[in-house]
Amino acid sequence: MNALLEVRHATRRFAGLVAVNDVSFTLAPGEILGLIGPNGAGKTTLISLISGTLPPSQGEVFFQGEPITKVPAYRRARLGIGRTFQIMRPFPGLSVLDNVAVGALFGRGGGQPKLALAREQARACLDFVGLSRFVDQRADELGGPGRKRLELAKALAMQPKVLLCDEVMAGLNHVEIEEVIDVIRKVRDQGISVLVIEHVIKAIKSLSDRLLVLHHGEKIADGAPDDVLANATVIEAYLGRRRP
Amino acid sequence: MDLFAQVLVNGILLGGLYAVMALGLALVWGVLNIVNLAHGAFIMLGAYVSWYLYTGAHIDPFLGLPISAFVLFVLGYALQRGLLNLVVRAPMFNTLLITFGLEVVLTYLAQIAFSADFRTINPPYAGNSWQLGPVTVPVVRFAAFVVAIVLTIGMWIFLLRTRLGRAIRATAQNLVAARLYGVEPRHLYAMTFGLGLALAGAAGGLYGTVSQINPYIGGTLTAKSFAISIIGGLDNPLGVIVGGLFLGVVESLTKLYIGPTYGDVASFGILLLVLIVRPSGLLGRTA
Amino acid sequence: MTPLRLALALAVVAVLAALPWFGSDLIIQFGINTLLLAVLAQGWNIIGGYTGYASFGNSVFYGLGSYGVAIAMVQWHLPFGVGLVFGVLLAVLFACTLGAAVLRLKGHYFAIATLALGQVMTAIVSNIPLAGQNIGLVLPPLNNDRLFYELSLGLLVLATLTIFWLTRSRFGFGLIAIRENEEGAAVMGVNTTLYKVLAFALSGLFSALAGGIHAYWITFLDPESAFDISLNVKMIIMAVFGGPGTILGPIVGAFSLSAISEFLSSEVTNLAGLFFGIVIVGAIVLMPRGLADIVRNVPKSGWRYFRQNIRAHRL
Repeated sequence: MNALLEVRHATRRFAGLVAVNDVSFTLAPGEILGLIGPNGAGKTTLISLISGTLPPSQGEVFFQGEPITKVPAYRRARLGIGRTFQIMRPFPGLSVLDNVAVGALFGRGGGQPKLALAREQARACLDFVGLSRFVDQRADELGGPGRKRLELAKALAMQPKVLLCDEVMAGLNHVEIEEVIDVIRKVRDQGISVLVIEHVIKAIKSLSDRLLVLHHGEKIADGAPDDVLANATVIEAYLGRRRP
Repeated sequence: MDLFAQVLVNGILLGGLYAVMALGLALVWGVLNIVNLAHGAFIMLGAYVSWYLYTGAHIDPFLGLPISAFVLFVLGYALQRGLLNLVVRAPMFNTLLITFGLEVVLTYLAQIAFSADFRTINPPYAGNSWQLGPVTVPVVRFAAFVVAIVLTIGMWIFLLRTRLGRAIRATAQNLVAARLYGVEPRHLYAMTFGLGLALAGAAGGLYGTVSQINPYIGGTLTAKSFAISIIGGLDNPLGVIVGGLFLGVVESLTKLYIGPTYGDVASFGILLLVLIVRPSGLLGRTA
Repeated sequence: MTPLRLALALAVVAVLAALPWFGSDLIIQFGINTLLLAVLAQGWNIIGGYTGYASFGNSVFYGLGSYGVAIAMVQWHLPFGVGLVFGVLLAVLFACTLGAAVLRLKGHYFAIATLALGQVMTAIVSNIPLAGQNIGLVLPPLNNDRLFYELSLGLLVLATLTIFWLTRSRFGFGLIAIRENEEGAAVMGVNTTLYKVLAFALSGLFSALAGGIHAYWITFLDPESAFDISLNVKMIIMAVFGGPGTILGPIVGAFSLSAISEFLSSEVTNLAGLFFGIVIVGAIVLMPRGLADIVRNVPKSGWRYFRQNIRAHRL
């Protein structure tokens, strides 16, 4: 099989706590993989291991068949791994447009060196996520939902091959969630693989081709959304806790 | 060998004083997240208070310590309440600069008020010393060492056992926690800064008994206090004692074996090494 | 940049360049000092203002630049220009080795580590015979203040053009991204380590050139004055007072503070230093983002601007 992204036996410990424990999975080209699990299950840590902001304690990460475990974050970005942050940290003092332009300037393959062209690309990305009205605003003047979209636009401007979305729908209302789902589907239609962390079960079930469940840092299920959500272990660990 | 033993003892005695100097800086840094670049200047002020008490009112420098600590406490409380509280939520760089501004102001005011002359506090027993085998222990240095250690341990007990101390420690974690202790944050911040300066005041009084003072000693003392805080970590007064002793000994040994001009290189070199290898301090929490 | 602004900028540079042919010796000397301080503030602006790393180590670059010129001219009898290049090489080497090591540190820790670097360098240079140990070096005098003035002005123009280029280049955007959110910059493909070191080296290049010119002009240097930490603080204050992370802010800061300080020290000798301290304290409380921000906001919100600043940062 030719997975775009593969994680093998990844483990990450923090001072005695095991945040991610021996997790393995693959992501195929053009696939949308949903990553769910209770708070503190290690979802964000797993994304950080893939994007390179944290090194794994053990295990390996492969991208397009090549090992990238020792590759620094910026080079993973240039290879085509884009991520969003759950705690949204834009470049607060820059305009919305320039926030996204940074992605175009650096992104995949080293990016677009011409500032004017990078800004053009950034405009297109902002259009794509529906933020074109806010291009000239400072990023820290955007509200919560706007920042979620900005995170998406910044990652997309990098023209990634895989997009790692860390809770881009949290705190949004139904209409906004539908819009973001729509955006992610359109991203996939461009051939980009997507890994989505999400709490809104209904949303992620309809969006994902496949679901992966983490619990206490361990993978407890991986498969078709309907099967996974019917799995007894998953219900007990995750859904059971949320709806006692 | 005898020389080595003597230098070692000198270093340890000096290290105790260093610990008190650094303790106030570490307290303010750890709790308020303000790196007080004026800390050394406040130590200098404390030394002048002691000097005036001794030369003007003939109060023994060791008995004068509580007074200079109190004077500096009041100054610290007022400064935090009236000025520093206005900027504590600004980027770290701004608080760094404002304390630097204070250091400049204090140094110039001191120069105008006290003149640039060197001063020493010389009580009648200043020349006395004990002979322990081959090692000479000057009485004043030994007394300063003991007071320094007592103060440091006292501060530790205060932080662990008293209600205010616990509130201060909670603030180091987060501001909301402090409210749970029913202490008004502005008051708490001012108390903490006041305590930091009280320690500087006491350290200044002790410094005046063992060394010469002038208005310009602040910068070096701040730098040493930094080095010690970094080596010892910010979360535990006992770490500061270890850091102080360590720096005192290393400095004394460097001066003896490598050359007197290298004393400061040793302290700053260690500071750099520690920062690069282990930024949370040799004994500090892991970041 | 609009044609009007370009014309205005050219006019200001022309007037400044013509000044030595009209002004008195004292004014020229004041001019050299001020221009060099402005260069230093601009140099600091690159690492501190644009990259967000509060360096207290720029006085080391300045010192290395001074010593580069002094050693080349006094010990090796080489021309001034070669000395400048030598000084720049020393500074860049320093930025790429020790600088790279301390640039891994963040916030206070970076600031303190660079502060310590300055102290260590002073002590090391005080013990190097080639550098004249703690006595220092005396350079061959050159009585041509006009030349030094024009050199300083040229350097300031060069530094300012560099910063202007930064604000519209990929490199500059990378630096700003690091300042705003370093982790966020890395996952978007910015080679943060390389960029930080390059910014530090670029900042060092200008500081070293300023140091070299100053050394030849003053014709004397010793470790204490060459690595003087208060010079570093001055450049920070000027940059912050004018507006860090802006193209012209540090120049405005350097010119205005130098002028006020010069005026005060001619009136009351001791007051200049005190004034500096008070300006820092007042500026941090009332206008933490510098004059540049005032110019942008005060016409809009008037006196409320200052109250808003206090409200935003007080406990």
